Amino acid sequence: MLQAGDVAPDFEVKDHTGGTLRLSDFRGQNVILWFYPMADTPG
Amino acid sequence: MLGISFDDVPANAKFHEKFHFTFPLLCDTERSVGMAYGACDDAQAKTARRISYLIGPDGRIKKAYPKVDAASHPEEVLKDI
Repeated sequence: MLQAGDVAPDFEVKDHTGGTLRLSDFRGQNVILWFYPMADTPG
Repeated sequence: MLGISFDDVPANAKFHEKFHFTFPLLCDTERSVGMAYGACDDAQAKTARRISYLIGPDGRIKKAYPKVDAASHPEEVLKDI
């Protein structure tokens, strides 16, 4: 896992609407990046 | 807040519709983000680990959460912002 202080690697992926989203779009804001195992599983 | 899994767009669209999330769900179908962030070990991984990161306005990791409990996680992160 990455640790506090590491540069968060930028990425470009599709979101649930099919649109493209980049981490760098959120520069200047706090971002919570939450990984979950599979759609429709609790948690 | 960004949710991210290895699901494709239709699966995450369904998930989003069902729970009315107020944030986008990202589709890391190639696992490239998962690998970069340590949520999986290789591109064949079936699912992502339940981990989370708080990324600061400067683009650096503010805090890593190696174990996420979905129920208490939002409060936990809000305290750290």
